[in-house]
Amino acid sequence: MNKKNTELSISTGKPNVRRKSLVFDVLSHKMALVGVLIIVSLLCMAVFAPFLAPHNPNDQDLYRVLEGPTWEHLLGTDDVGRDLLSRVIFGARISLIIGIISTFISALLGSMLGLIAGYKGGMADMVIMRITDTFMCLPVMVMLLVIVTVLGPGVENIIIAISVLTWTTFARIMRGQVLSVRESPYIEAAHADGASELRIMFKNILPNAISPIIVAVSIMLGRHIMLESIATFLGLGVQPPTPTWGKALRVGYSYLEIVPLYSIAPGLMITLAVLGFNFLGDGLRDALDPRLRGEGDKLPEAAL
Amino acid sequence: MKRYFARRLLYALLILFLVSILIFSIARLLPGDPIQAAATQNLDLANEEILNDLRSQFGLDQPLHIQYVVWMKDFFNGDWGTSFGSGEPVFEMFVRRLPVTLELFSGYVFWSFLIGFPLGVISAFKRNTILDATITSTAIVGISVPVIWEAIVLIYLFSVHYRIFPPSGYVPFFENPMENILCMIMPTFVLGTHTAGMYMRYVRSSLLEVLGQDYIRTARAKGLTEMAVILRHAAKPAMIPVVTVIGIDWGYVISGSFLVEYMFALPGFGRMGIDAIAARDYPVIQATLLIVALFILMVNLAVDLLYGYLDPRVRVK
Repeated sequence: MNKKNTELSISTGKPNVRRKSLVFDVLSHKMALVGVLIIVSLLCMAVFAPFLAPHNPNDQDLYRVLEGPTWEHLLGTDDVGRDLLSRVIFGARISLIIGIISTFISALLGSMLGLIAGYKGGMADMVIMRITDTFMCLPVMVMLLVIVTVLGPGVENIIIAISVLTWTTFARIMRGQVLSVRESPYIEAAHADGASELRIMFKNILPNAISPIIVAVSIMLGRHIMLESIATFLGLGVQPPTPTWGKALRVGYSYLEIVPLYSIAPGLMITLAVLGFNFLGDGLRDALDPRLRGEGDKLPEAAL
Repeated sequence: MKRYFARRLLYALLILFLVSILIFSIARLLPGDPIQAAATQNLDLANEEILNDLRSQFGLDQPLHIQYVVWMKDFFNGDWGTSFGSGEPVFEMFVRRLPVTLELFSGYVFWSFLIGFPLGVISAFKRNTILDATITSTAIVGISVPVIWEAIVLIYLFSVHYRIFPPSGYVPFFENPMENILCMIMPTFVLGTHTAGMYMRYVRSSLLEVLGQDYIRTARAKGLTEMAVILRHAAKPAMIPVVTVIGIDWGYVISGSFLVEYMFALPGFGRMGIDAIAARDYPVIQATLLIVALFILMVNLAVDLLYGYLDPRVRVK
């Protein structure tokens, strides 16, 4: 950041983050580019599933169960004779929907609470931070299983459970950011200008504190897809006959000796999805915070 | 230092209190009255009077705050209730399963440090080379691979295809050391590789930050060898952030151990927890969650202490 830039940001109260070439920065980052390609392919797979899938994912053919790959069924068939490839393609839908919605809710909730905790301080900060510390002691994956057991299986419940358990990550990140931004000269300038608290929070602080949240959204999206598939794998998540990667992984695992692809293919899709979002997250981090370029990460890695 | 530690200890106790209330409430929210559930499995019990007797025997007819106090008191006296599933005291179940989980943890530490630390150091020194890029991307792949899938792939390769390791099961070390090691290699490796990627990245970024400091340049200017610079000047400060994140990541390792024990049918603590959740065996669920929380708090406390030792500035703050 050069001197001229700093002065400009003080006088206008505008964020001083370079914005003009974020997309370019991300796309010129090799790993991020790979991530974007993976994510775009998965999104296309989910959106155009009916056109891409060679068969109806729910059509059973009980004469042809547990077959290996053939020209008709490129990945083979499952235990009730459904086409595996079609089920894997349709499986992208539920994983992405759950991942995107739960990340959106938890990021929104966490960022708002983190913003309040960091900006207001005092009692609000104390309560919110004690809650996040309490959640830190209980591993998300273990608690997810317990909460889904309480709520019962199903798509909505798994979204609620994941969001309730993961917002603390966003709250912590946001609070830390707000604390460092709060004392900046341009915030002081906005105060002197007579701006309302809400205006300062949302117009001045939020845009300057949002970068790590964007990175975290990408990384957590992958995490949430992984959490959903684990819960479904253990029989607590999305219920049949919806095609899901987690369920295929589970049933396929029992037939590992006969048709290894049955569980290996859906597992590979989960891995690719997580990998895509992790790669993108890394690229975003480098693009949004040039100081950290190639310096690894400053975010809590673990969320599971 | 003492004051610093006392403050951390008090804080941990406060969090433990909050966690215990959370766990207590969740266990009460689990669907299905456990006594009713036991009754449907055993028709002799399906009599309202007997059910009420049973409820008072388990203390379930008491007001909630009394139930909480009794539960906490019993917990710290080693009386963790009895499993609804097997009728066994939960404490004994835990003690019997602990060695398996501890063995899994030691194996995980072995693999993750063996892989994560050297790669992190190499990556930092070969910064921005192809080697660095390869190691860094491999680390992200390692972090991204779900434990369950890695387990399935390894079981397929080494148990189904090559038949080198047993696919699941556990043999105690003192019964047959060779078999024990054979059946623990895959589970510990899966858990280890999962965290090795994270440790590699932490070590790399932390070391890079330290190596850019002026005192490292001074050390080099004194003519010290690179090895001496790392060991005498860079290692200790570079460990500070690494130690912190290892503390934070314990929850992650525990989650991983639950899944690994489930996948490889290891009769450990995590398997006990997952089975209890599936069976809604809530004395076991309650105890499992509280032990996990207690364990994470203790590790975090140990990290705080270590942090105070590694970074003298912390003690003053």
